[in-house]
Amino acid sequence: MRIAASLRAIRCVWMRYFDVFRKSAFYYLVTTFSEPFLYLLAFGFGVGSLVGAVDAGGESVSYRRFVFSGILGQTVLFQGFYEASYGGFIRMYYQKIFEAMAMTPITLSEVLWGELAWDASKATLAAAIIACIGAALGDFPPYAPLAVIPVAFISSLLFAGLGLAVAARSRTIEEISYPQYLVVFPMFLFCGVFFPLEQLPVPLQWAAWVLPLTSVNSLMRTLTLGFPLEWWSIPILAAWLVALVAYSRRAMFGRLVK
Amino acid sequence: MSLLQVERLTKRYRTADGRFLEAVSEVSFEVRAGECVGLLGPNGAGKSTTIRCISGFYPPSSGRVLIGGVDVHADPKRARQILGMCSQEDTLDSDFRVLDQLARHATFFGLSGAEGLRRGRELLERFGIADKANELIESLSGGMKRRLQVARALVASPTVLVLDEPTTGLDPGMRRSLWEILVEQRGNGVAILLSTHYMEEAERLCDRVALLHKGAIRDAGSPRSLIERHMGAAEVEEEVRPGVLWRRPPHLEDVYLRLTGERLEAP
Repeated sequence: MRIAASLRAIRCVWMRYFDVFRKSAFYYLVTTFSEPFLYLLAFGFGVGSLVGAVDAGGESVSYRRFVFSGILGQTVLFQGFYEASYGGFIRMYYQKIFEAMAMTPITLSEVLWGELAWDASKATLAAAIIACIGAALGDFPPYAPLAVIPVAFISSLLFAGLGLAVAARSRTIEEISYPQYLVVFPMFLFCGVFFPLEQLPVPLQWAAWVLPLTSVNSLMRTLTLGFPLEWWSIPILAAWLVALVAYSRRAMFGRLVK
Repeated sequence: MSLLQVERLTKRYRTADGRFLEAVSEVSFEVRAGECVGLLGPNGAGKSTTIRCISGFYPPSSGRVLIGGVDVHADPKRARQILGMCSQEDTLDSDFRVLDQLARHATFFGLSGAEGLRRGRELLERFGIADKANELIESLSGGMKRRLQVARALVASPTVLVLDEPTTGLDPGMRRSLWEILVEQRGNGVAILLSTHYMEEAERLCDRVALLHKGAIRDAGSPRSLIERHMGAAEVEEEVRPGVLWRRPPHLEDVYLRLTGERLEAP
């Protein structure tokens, strides 16, 4: 009974975000998809024409297909993190809507679950549309858009957890830049979006495997390019998911509730 | 019938510099149906912390808050179903236009979108901002935003209404029209808790007031009884400008000053 009531409340919060998204759909679509498209054009088609094929995961694939699959991971990282960190900070600190919603029959815990669920949904939508384009171009198999949804949702929930924790810990909106440049960008550059991990020195490969984006990219390439499953990606992602979502909620409660 | 009961509420928390602060100390009062109770005190007296504990947003260090007989911290969903809250700060959702804001807020109480729109239109009409229904929040003046925030607190027809300094920043005309709405709500049987530092507001609207100072209630009662108890019937002499004395009947400000040595309103 209580779980059903909580799920209804989380849905209610999610609908609030969806309503905002729906009313400004064109703006959101342009800002959400322009970035991955630009990466795809620059690296997939531009650099891809210079590089040709790459050997990764025991397979040889065109660089465009390799990067295209990596852009799925980059999309869930950026979409999940930015929506929760900058967006979450604005909603918490400037708009104060977390507080406004948590003074209704919806609890703060449900507000935060609704926030994370929405951030993950929006990032998953972006990843699914990019996978659709990949399938339409013949770079991914036709089932790829559906196949990537579970991994995209779980990984964007994880990155949204990171973003919400950052929002909770930042005293000013400028402070969000620290984790952005010290954590998110290194992940983006060194976790296998643009080149196979095997190109890195072994200690850096191990370091990259500790970070969650490497596991996301590994699973995305299994689903879209048929690379062999690196099973340890699953427990790594699960551990990060539990740790970051739990920490983000704790940090947000610490920030908002005395 | 008591709709809001605050029993020995205490709230302690750690401040940014690591000290423990007791912001609210053993505060107890109740608000019955059709009654307006005022929490009167200057900024920093503990009014907003008390109200955040009443809403269930802050857990109390000790004591409890019952809304319609339900402990707000044990069962916040049920307790807050009948609670309308208006915070001191602007918490309007600037992603929505005026009417949509009310309709969306209504859904948090389980009302349908259509019912939320109907209630929203009624409230905008009553608050005199119906012509702003499709405006963005940013385009509203400070006074309109304040009225909209009070209207939002009423969207689910609450039986307990908690308002944290609802008239701060309003001009005298807007303040009076908001007072009329609150009197109307009280007449409908709504229990109102009003935090304010305006003595005139407290004297006009409140059946009883609690004088809050440094987190503790120093005295409580009807405005008239408090004035009689602490000031008597004698007129008070006040220097309105250097060398000019003005004799006037005592009011709550004098009571507060006598009890705490501090003024309610900034001079």
